[in-house]
Amino acid sequence: MKYVTESLKRDTETLKKLLPAEDILTFEFKSEKNVSFTVVYADPITDKELLGEQVIRPLLHYGGGTDAEEIAKSLTSPELRKSREFKKLSEEVLAGNPVLLWEGMKEAIIVGTKKVFVRAISEPSTDVAVKGPREGFIEDVKINTSLVRRRLKTAELKIETMEIGRRSQTVVALCYLEGTSVKETVEEVKKKLQEIDIDIVPDSSYLTHFLSSRPYSLVKQVGTTEKPDIFCAKIAEGRVGLLVDGSPIALTLPYLLIEDFQSSEDYFVPSYRATFTRILRLLSLIVAIYLPAFYVSAQLFKLQLFPIRLLLTIAGSIRDIPFSPSLEMLLVLFVLEVLNEASIRMPKYVGMALSVVGALVLGETAVSAGFVSTPAIIIIAFSGIGLYAVPNLIEQTSVLRLMMLLVAGSVGTYGIILASAFVLLYLVTTENYGAPLVAPFSPMIGRDLRDSVVKYDLGSLELRPETLGSKNRRRMK
Amino acid sequence: MNARKFIKTIPMKLYLLLFAVIVFAFFSNDFGLVDVQKTAIILAAGIDKTEEGYAVSAQIAVPKGSDRTTGGTSSVEIRADGKTVSDCITMLYSKTGWVPKLVFCNLLLLGEETAKEDVFGSLDYFLRNEYMPDSCYLAVCEGKAEETISSQSAIDDASSLAITKLFSDAAVKAGKVMPNTLKDFSRSYYGVSKSGYLPFLRMHDQEGGQEAGGNESAGGSGGQEKTQKIYTADETALFQEGKMVGLLGANETTAFSLLKGEVFAGTFNADDGEKPVTLAILENGGGISLDTGGAPKVKLSVSLTVRLCCRGATAPIDDVSTDKVPEETLRIAEETLKSDIRSLWDKCQSAGCDLFELKRDLYRASPKKFAELKDAVPNAVEAEIETKVQTKS
Amino acid sequence: MKKISPRQLYFFLACIMPAGKLVILPSLLAQQAKNDLLLPALIGYLVQAGVVFCVLLAAKKGESLFSLLRNTFGKVAAIAVMSVLSLFFFYAALLPLLEQRLFVQSTFYDTLPSLAAFAPYFVFSVYLCAKPLGSQGRVWDILGPIAIAGLAGILVLSVGETDLGALLPLGGGGMGTFKALPVLSGWLFDGAVLLMLLGRIDYKKGTAWKGTLWYLAGALGVLLFLAVFYGVFGDVAVNQPFAIAKTSKYFSGITVLGRIDYIFIYALSLVMAFWCAMPLQAGIDCFLQPFGRERHLATILSVAVNAVFLALMYFLDNRFGEVLHFVTGAPFWIFVVFCTVLPPLSLLLRRDHERS
Repeated sequence: MKYVTESLKRDTETLKKLLPAEDILTFEFKSEKNVSFTVVYADPITDKELLGEQVIRPLLHYGGGTDAEEIAKSLTSPELRKSREFKKLSEEVLAGNPVLLWEGMKEAIIVGTKKVFVRAISEPSTDVAVKGPREGFIEDVKINTSLVRRRLKTAELKIETMEIGRRSQTVVALCYLEGTSVKETVEEVKKKLQEIDIDIVPDSSYLTHFLSSRPYSLVKQVGTTEKPDIFCAKIAEGRVGLLVDGSPIALTLPYLLIEDFQSSEDYFVPSYRATFTRILRLLSLIVAIYLPAFYVSAQLFKLQLFPIRLLLTIAGSIRDIPFSPSLEMLLVLFVLEVLNEASIRMPKYVGMALSVVGALVLGETAVSAGFVSTPAIIIIAFSGIGLYAVPNLIEQTSVLRLMMLLVAGSVGTYGIILASAFVLLYLVTTENYGAPLVAPFSPMIGRDLRDSVVKYDLGSLELRPETLGSKNRRRMK
Repeated sequence: MNARKFIKTIPMKLYLLLFAVIVFAFFSNDFGLVDVQKTAIILAAGIDKTEEGYAVSAQIAVPKGSDRTTGGTSSVEIRADGKTVSDCITMLYSKTGWVPKLVFCNLLLLGEETAKEDVFGSLDYFLRNEYMPDSCYLAVCEGKAEETISSQSAIDDASSLAITKLFSDAAVKAGKVMPNTLKDFSRSYYGVSKSGYLPFLRMHDQEGGQEAGGNESAGGSGGQEKTQKIYTADETALFQEGKMVGLLGANETTAFSLLKGEVFAGTFNADDGEKPVTLAILENGGGISLDTGGAPKVKLSVSLTVRLCCRGATAPIDDVSTDKVPEETLRIAEETLKSDIRSLWDKCQSAGCDLFELKRDLYRASPKKFAELKDAVPNAVEAEIETKVQTKS
Repeated sequence: MKKISPRQLYFFLACIMPAGKLVILPSLLAQQAKNDLLLPALIGYLVQAGVVFCVLLAAKKGESLFSLLRNTFGKVAAIAVMSVLSLFFFYAALLPLLEQRLFVQSTFYDTLPSLAAFAPYFVFSVYLCAKPLGSQGRVWDILGPIAIAGLAGILVLSVGETDLGALLPLGGGGMGTFKALPVLSGWLFDGAVLLMLLGRIDYKKGTAWKGTLWYLAGALGVLLFLAVFYGVFGDVAVNQPFAIAKTSKYFSGITVLGRIDYIFIYALSLVMAFWCAMPLQAGIDCFLQPFGRERHLATILSVAVNAVFLALMYFLDNRFGEVLHFVTGAPFWIFVVFCTVLPPLSLLLRRDHERS
């Protein structure tokens, strides 16, 4: 490990060797009393105005010794750190914090004048609430932690930062409430984070792979949110939260499947309304996954699932369709997925045109040309809408829907039952950080059911979820 | 080390294999798959006795296509002959190339000749068939079942749909029909009473109706025009040991309904000759009980609460404004009812049909008494009839 | 391995165990005992309740069956007993699996499908049987309410068509009650299966009698269904082999809405998918307990056993009657011995610290 040597020239050269990039600049100046200083900084991410104001101008009149403490006293910057290690110094320069070197120094000074490019705090597009707070996380971890701190004004809120990514040195802030979060969970998360050896962390989603007990699982195992209010509520329940620099998506652990059926709005509306919408979400999801499958299996294997009049209507519609019902449904589903994928990625103005093409031209023409039948389009459209009732689970549920369709088209309704049994068995045996994925249904925890599909009044939720294992159970007196 | 790595990847390989099998099955599926396009959806079947065995006339629903604008159900009727009903159904398959599916069959119609022999010879196939819904209606028709099945209904596209409308809950509540299902009919046949009943269907020409409508007949008459028909099922055929042994008229059928206490919205005529009066039934209580204390005696009782529904003659406005039934009319109603029940009981006795399943009740109450009296029921049982008709207070 | 909580055990006893007894068994009981079909079921269940109570008391010892056997008789004898028990479970699995295959053919298809239609069940069974029976407490938490909803739905839809008078006169079935007992034994292996949960139950005070009460509650559900079944079909009940899929179809709303009762039938089918594999799971578990439950060994054994049973399904196609006749015929004592006589003896087995 290399350390500073008291020779300004040598130290500057060493640092420049470590940071040979063109945008790493040095600024050399002397004080009135002839003390030589050099500032090494990363040009695009350093606030030079602040650097001049808080560091260079005061030092122009400096006439003291070479002691770092003494020099630091003459600076007007509130964020100063010292280090002797070149590795640390170079990391700081790359993070946007200039390093001050001078002749005869024993420690260099790191000045916190990083230039922060941030977008304004806005409502996240993936989690819109009609009632309730509209703030969303942004890409800057400091602002995100400030949003959390603003909501949890307690000394119990611990925010521990660490850097992950050999090259990206991404700051990850681990947030939890001491005394409320389970100690073992916090330690396990920390351990898993420390064990991560990856080049760069462009987004928080990279970390989910390392934090899951079944990384290849179909079901997600880390909760995500873009809203500070939800993040804080989850931390307050005893979960551990992770804020990743450069990502507006915060992670929470342990994750329970029921979380994605709960919306922040559920807590701001009467409990009967929240219960109704939760049941609606659950039913929508079930319908979205199973409807195409049952439609196909009923046509192929079990006509009795239709009332006779409906059957005759369907039979009339599919009479001239050249594909088998299963293939027809797969085709329509494929078109839906393509339209869905394309409309998300396309620029907005093209997206509008695409939806018109998709809905009108493709749908209408395909039906009139006899490629697909009207019921198939209705079924898939209904299923497509249903899936969006629980937007956080779309990746998983769309795969499940396809899986169900495949088994329905090959084995029939019994295939659907068996596939459901598979999924059920898989879900109940998955757990993360000691919390079973499908709790509070399995294992059944009576009190936790009060905030599951049925949402009790706030007054009845006086205890924290037992599933999370917090020792500090009571949240309301 | 390599072996361990290989073992570790086995589950993933198995999942991939499973996925491949599912995809293969999906695109080539044939686990006995008969989709709706290869299926003959049988709505109703008529069974006639022939010299060599049976003739089954199936009414098969035909989808109208995607450009359907009028709604309704098209159907074709196909006749098939064979030594057994099963042969006939197989013949249907070979005649049409469609796999006959009985899961939607809601009506089995027995021809008059068929009903004269033990009908369970022909119903046997349907009882054994796992895919036949035994909740389907069963009825006997005048003449041949084939003619009724292939007739053109005046009120619906398919004759079977028009006929099953006669057996609706509303018709039962009106007391004008006594429908029965395959399950209930066979239940009484295989029970200790061995008796049962089925609605008796008659077909009538509809005045002025001459066109063929939406029915595409592929049966006997090709594309010829047919006379539109309407159907009545206000008579009831009595069965003993599977054979039709008697026929209840419309009034006796109503009496039967009233005895069962199932009428809530029907009407009842108290006709004293010159002044026909129709009474609307508001409440119906019926009772059938067997007294085995001394000589076996059956007590048949009906109690009705009625209101005046219609007089067959001009009435003063004071009379129109009230729906109370005069006492005299009530007595006439009681007597009429008594005579209908008496006639019903006499027919049951003469046919030896235990219509009210008295043997079953006796057996349930006391197997000993049943063994003693089983041959006496219903022929040697005296009937005590009690009728009570009262007006709405 | 997480232990089975008392609540999960109660769900298992009251909801999962009765599920498989609602398919062919009701019509077989009606065939033998006629309107007295409730009597053999009642007798069988009361006896089994006693067995269940004894096994649950033995669960208090907190050790697995193999461990108890080893402490009492030594390792070799324990292995021998476990092997015989394993063979019994495989023998007991045959009837439910054949029954399930026929049920699937009838209920999930409306024309007779090819034999391959039931083959996917064994894929699921391989996955299920690779895990020990005792590890599935959490599934029971989900399946319990599903089974209750399924049975309740079917009963509600059927009750309008039920004539409970059909169960009269009492004793009308004559000696049929006793003839039905051997038939019943083919399905009442509950006590024996419970043996495989020894050492995996988180025994709390009163679990034994509470568990027995829950088992009897499940029995009550079965008896209720049997009563409704006979009330709906009366003398033709013998001709209704797939009882659970039959009684509710007469509900008046079905003509308008279609077969909505299938929601409940399919819910119970899901439960039955787990129930059917239970003897197989128990058999594999029995075999593995003495050798330690190594994951790969469990998977290989599960694949092998299921492959054999898949082959048997083909071999015994259309031979359900013969298998039933054989299993519930003269050798029915096998069931009596393994399900009624042996399980209570687990009370006499010694714990580790009681070893001399």
